[in-house]
Amino acid sequence: MQIVEIILSPLLALVVGVFFLGLARKVMARIHWRYGPPLIQPVIDMIRLFYQKSVSHGRMFDVGIILSLAGSIVVILFLPFGWICPLRNSGGLLVILYVMLIAPLGIALSGGQGANPNISIGISRKLILSLGYEVPFVLVLLAVMTHYKTISIVEVVSAQQSARWSVLSLALFLPGLSYFLVLPAMLGIRPFDMASAAQEISSGPMVEYGGKYLALAMIEHAFVLFINIALFVNLFLGGAVNPATFFLKMLAVFLLGLFVHAAFPRFRVEQAVKYLWKWPTLLAFVGLIIALVTRS
Amino acid sequence: MDRNQITKWFKDPAKMANKYSLHAIYFCTGCGIIEVPPVITSRWDAERFGVIPVATPRQANLFLITGYVSVKTLRAIIRTYEQMYEPKFTVGFGSCPVNGGMYWDSYNTIKHLDKYIPIDGWIAGCMPRPEAIFVAVTHLWTLIDKGMANGYIRYRENYEAYRRNQEMALGKLEWPPLYAPDGNREEDTRE
Repeated sequence: MQIVEIILSPLLALVVGVFFLGLARKVMARIHWRYGPPLIQPVIDMIRLFYQKSVSHGRMFDVGIILSLAGSIVVILFLPFGWICPLRNSGGLLVILYVMLIAPLGIALSGGQGANPNISIGISRKLILSLGYEVPFVLVLLAVMTHYKTISIVEVVSAQQSARWSVLSLALFLPGLSYFLVLPAMLGIRPFDMASAAQEISSGPMVEYGGKYLALAMIEHAFVLFINIALFVNLFLGGAVNPATFFLKMLAVFLLGLFVHAAFPRFRVEQAVKYLWKWPTLLAFVGLIIALVTRS
Repeated sequence: MDRNQITKWFKDPAKMANKYSLHAIYFCTGCGIIEVPPVITSRWDAERFGVIPVATPRQANLFLITGYVSVKTLRAIIRTYEQMYEPKFTVGFGSCPVNGGMYWDSYNTIKHLDKYIPIDGWIAGCMPRPEAIFVAVTHLWTLIDKGMANGYIRYRENYEAYRRNQEMALGKLEWPPLYAPDGNREEDTRE
């Protein structure tokens, strides 16, 4: 049974993530008052890219993208999706926190071999941005772990099942808000899409990707969407027992993020770090103190 | 997408995906930049057809060259074209890449672009309306269906001739040939 879940859950994450990619393009088009592409346009793109020829830029160029995919898949195995959670008895928030860093690192290693100046700029922006959002993110996770006195994400979800959503509780309202504020930065959408800005640095780390490399990078992006939103839903919106309910909650969070994406222009990277270290960090820190005081 | 296309998808997924996922790189050399933004934004919405602009030639498979081609920009056009991955399609937009247009007697523009890189389709006019891009795209679909959009194959097969023409226009080229001259035309080994 666990073997089936281990195989099933990355596939499920892939389907959900690719659906989100297609939905993003469709919803963005409707916000622009356009008709928009079909919902399966990312699938069509991926089929095309897998059939296209491509040139490798070296060993690390191949390994890095695989590494980042593998890191994402490992995180997905620890995340509950409704009752589907292959590795429910091991891991926990600390493991997730560590392994989540592998995905951007893999892209950075892969891009470093590409030897294009736009890639270097994009990667440095991405790493500075992750320096910005990791601080509030760690504080948020500390607040959650302090409040529930556990590092297991499954126990956090089950505690919310018996009580109420943690974003509605007094102690974790501010960390929840803080997580929602850093969520666009973690997803790499506007106003924090400076790392893959198509107009400034020719889509940053993606510059040299074409063919199957770009297809793998798209899959990786779908995984990143899935991981960050699923983590938010699990920690703050109560998770779910039923995968369908869980998916609906993820959809709601994703649509909210998409509206932010549609409405805002792009920050410069130092503006982004200034913002991330000010408001989300402050909220998360106050939330952590409240969680410490009220833990009894 | 029609329901009667599903059998086509199973028969040849590569061809169908190439048709409906044209990631375009626009080379707006002189004019034509006015016509492209309405096409990709709300007014005409090229994304319905799967046509979106991308930022780099590595991700693109449709190369749209609008406006006149001067000798200097020809160099950039050739390099961009050679960086794209196969299969790739090229469309010349406007009269000037076709036969020189109003610059027919200019001393520093290229008159016939298809001497230097292979072109799959032309959009004539000075300037064509933005809708003409859609006519070109649907036309390109027909060509891909019939296997006639084979510019990249022609480029590989007649690479010596194209390279000779390029060197006649630009002098000695500072980059090595894309395909090895000894008939070993399988792989693009250059980084």
